[in-house]
Amino acid sequence: MKKIKWTIMSLVVLFSIGAAFATRPPKLQALYYFTGSAYMPVVGAMGQNWICVSPTTFPCTYTYANGVYSIYTNDAQYEVIGIDGTPNPVGKKRN
Amino acid sequence: MLKRQVVLECIAALLILLFLYASVSKFLDFKRFIDEINNQPLPNSWTPFLVWCIPLLEIAISVAVVFEYTRLLAFYASLVMMMLFTIYAILILTHFFPYVPCSCGGVIRKLTWPQHLILNLFYLTLSILGIILQRTKHLKPISITKNSFV
Repeated sequence: MKKIKWTIMSLVVLFSIGAAFATRPPKLQALYYFTGSAYMPVVGAMGQNWICVSPTTFPCTYTYANGVYSIYTNDAQYEVIGIDGTPNPVGKKRN
Repeated sequence: MLKRQVVLECIAALLILLFLYASVSKFLDFKRFIDEINNQPLPNSWTPFLVWCIPLLEIAISVAVVFEYTRLLAFYASLVMMMLFTIYAILILTHFFPYVPCSCGGVIRKLTWPQHLILNLFYLTLSILGIILQRTKHLKPISITKNSFV
């Protein structure tokens, strides 16, 4: 029983770590948001200058590689907060 | 007795699967995790504490649940953690906060908030079941014999 237990636990641990590596997203590149007609580069840091808000009509941010825009943060809408005096539309606290 | 042990091992394995996967995913893309915590409708001053506390606690639970000696403690820790996550998901879904943030974290980031809530409730139930089974594990069944009434 103990041998079976430790075998299964070891497999679960290996599987969990392996799955985390397998689903690891590509290294962070420049991000873009979609205005509805064009892709614009994102300025500033997530959660400080901009946030992703759910639900939405299209994904929040994208990465760009080999001529293709891929979804970086999905199921969310890009919203700018507090850049250059832009009013904070959603009440995100800035620290 | 054997059945109970098998169920307990299965619960432990499922908790390891969730917590270890989630914590390793966070450390593998730590910058993104910081961004995602900043994106939550919580004060950004909490971020330095949360980005270390959450994954380290998840790893601690994954380790503690393996050993018989610390398993009950791990089930309790898992229960508290899942309760906090569940309350947070409910607050998000009831629009308690000024906005609904993206749901983030490894493959789990692909889940919507209602799906998150279901996953949390499932693991909350597993933790409760684990506590009940682990606590009653060493209790001897009460035998009612004729002598008991004498």
